[in-house]
Amino acid sequence: MKAVCWMGKERIEVHDVPDPKILNPRDAIVRITTTCICGSDLHLYNGFVPTLEQGDILGHEFMGEVVEVGPGVNKDKISVGDRVVVPFTIACGECQSCKDQLWSLCDNTNPNAWLAEKLMGYSPSGLFGYTHMMGGYAGGQAQYARVPMADVGPIRIPDGIPDEKVVFLSDIFPTGYMGAENCNIRPGDTIAVWGCGPVGQFAIRSCFMFGAGRVIAIDRLPERLRMAEQAGAETLNFDDVDVVEALKDMTGNHGPDACMDAVGMEAWGHGVIFAMDRAKQMTRMQMDRPVVLRQAIMACKKGGTVSVPGVYASFIDKVPMGAFMNKGLTMKTGQTHMMRYMQPLLERIQAGEIDPSFVISHKLPLESAPGAYRMFRDKQDHCTKVVLKPWEQQQAA
Amino acid sequence: MNQSNLPFSRQASSQFPFGSKGLLLGAGALMLYGLTRRSKSGLALATAGGVLAFRAAKPQSAPQNTRATFLVNTSPERAYVLWRDFQNLPRFMAHLKSVQVLEGNRSEWIAVGPMDREVRWTAEITGERPNELIAWRSLPGSDVETSGSVEFRRDPLDRGTYVTAEVRYRIPGGSATAALAGIFGKHPEFMVREALRRFKSLVEAGETPTISGQTHGPRGLHGRTEEVLFRETTNHPEPQAASGLPRIA
Repeated sequence: MKAVCWMGKERIEVHDVPDPKILNPRDAIVRITTTCICGSDLHLYNGFVPTLEQGDILGHEFMGEVVEVGPGVNKDKISVGDRVVVPFTIACGECQSCKDQLWSLCDNTNPNAWLAEKLMGYSPSGLFGYTHMMGGYAGGQAQYARVPMADVGPIRIPDGIPDEKVVFLSDIFPTGYMGAENCNIRPGDTIAVWGCGPVGQFAIRSCFMFGAGRVIAIDRLPERLRMAEQAGAETLNFDDVDVVEALKDMTGNHGPDACMDAVGMEAWGHGVIFAMDRAKQMTRMQMDRPVVLRQAIMACKKGGTVSVPGVYASFIDKVPMGAFMNKGLTMKTGQTHMMRYMQPLLERIQAGEIDPSFVISHKLPLESAPGAYRMFRDKQDHCTKVVLKPWEQQQAA
Repeated sequence: MNQSNLPFSRQASSQFPFGSKGLLLGAGALMLYGLTRRSKSGLALATAGGVLAFRAAKPQSAPQNTRATFLVNTSPERAYVLWRDFQNLPRFMAHLKSVQVLEGNRSEWIAVGPMDREVRWTAEITGERPNELIAWRSLPGSDVETSGSVEFRRDPLDRGTYVTAEVRYRIPGGSATAALAGIFGKHPEFMVREALRRFKSLVEAGETPTISGQTHGPRGLHGRTEEVLFRETTNHPEPQAASGLPRIA
């Protein structure tokens, strides 16, 4: 089959590789009909997340048809022929974390848990196509994928809804939604959202679903700010204004009730501290650039909440802990507990409350992945979200 | 622990999968190779080989203990039954190829070391309390000399069972080989922890997580080196799904 392989920093190649096989009793094989490039894949592309191996298949947002199931799969939950969306986190459904609905913290799905323990103390769940520290599972930017614990994660999709409307249930819609849920929104609250990429877009819309009165969206790309405005958000361009001052002004020296970092480890900013962050990241003295996290803590109202759906990989410097402590803030974060959200959000899509396909800017065949990664990273051609079609042929240029 | 006074003879090897003879050979080869390189890095290699050879030729280092505890979401009764059936052990001890139950309270264990070298030992049960404890030790004539125990203790707060494994072992060559073993994931400390982690997965989820045998793009030298560093090589080429073993959960 064809698969998108990470061959090194900024080296993405499409290779012919062997088809995946059932390895464990609860595995399934899915023939992929739609797959996507996530903003978090760009952290891998740029080489900022440790423990990828040359030859790894990337991709964690995919859906398709079940073509084979292992002997240990609960057939009531999933069977051959089902059309499914696969969540990016892998969960066993049996450990204490899963029973507590903390699905992305499953104890039993990371074969390299010891690696994650070195960096984090304890290991979160395994993830598709997202470094060996997180399990090293082959990803879904391919024609087929092996899906472990297939009777827990994948959700059945009825016929009649196009892939484009439901494929984002695999990650970014639930991730934005949990980012909003983590804001502890009370009706009428003001929420500031840094990052108007796909997760930010879903987060903005989810904040309104939770009853937010105002959402202030922060980015620098005009097309993304426009998309945020279409959802009803006010916008700030961080190239033009000092974000913390502007938020103070817009909220009458009160501050947003919650601040959301939907950017993560490769945030952009201005000034001396940002230049130092970049230099330290280049020289591997600091893996993450916490520009947005610092702003979110400084901007947040007293007693407010900082929600972090943006991805961080390891350590950060100069976080204003004094502000965090003395203002009595709360931080909520984590990889998304996918299985909590997929069914209710599918129902919202079916009810016509939201059509997630609005974020798509490019639909391309799988072979176009190398160029698509570059385009998405460099924000060329107003790229907000790339959807890849594994079975479509590349058009002759 | 009731076998802390277990006698460890000087000639005995260890849980570690290459004996001191093999180590001496390897160290010699490393020295020769380093010297023929006629470069600074070659000299460094030769020196490392020399140190290793010196360590290997030295008498056995003192026996060591490693101990780990995992909380498993099951009852002590069930955990005990699964562990007591020794044929189950290779399902969660990645370094074991097979365990054959013999007559009496004996069993034959076969582990696989580097270069597919088989390491065998006969173990006998030295202590047993149903649903609480199993203790064993290797018998004279085995390739390794080791002893160990596993204890099952119900969490008083009802969150499952604390499973504690303790293994006594000796590493020929001491700290130098221990460091080398650490790199390849063959250090007993690592193996005991991973065995417990996999036991927990097998009991709770019915399988242990793996990516061994999955598809991937061309690894190249870079990718293959990382596979070794991330300890992803395995003694179990056959997928769990094809084993035909009954589901545990």
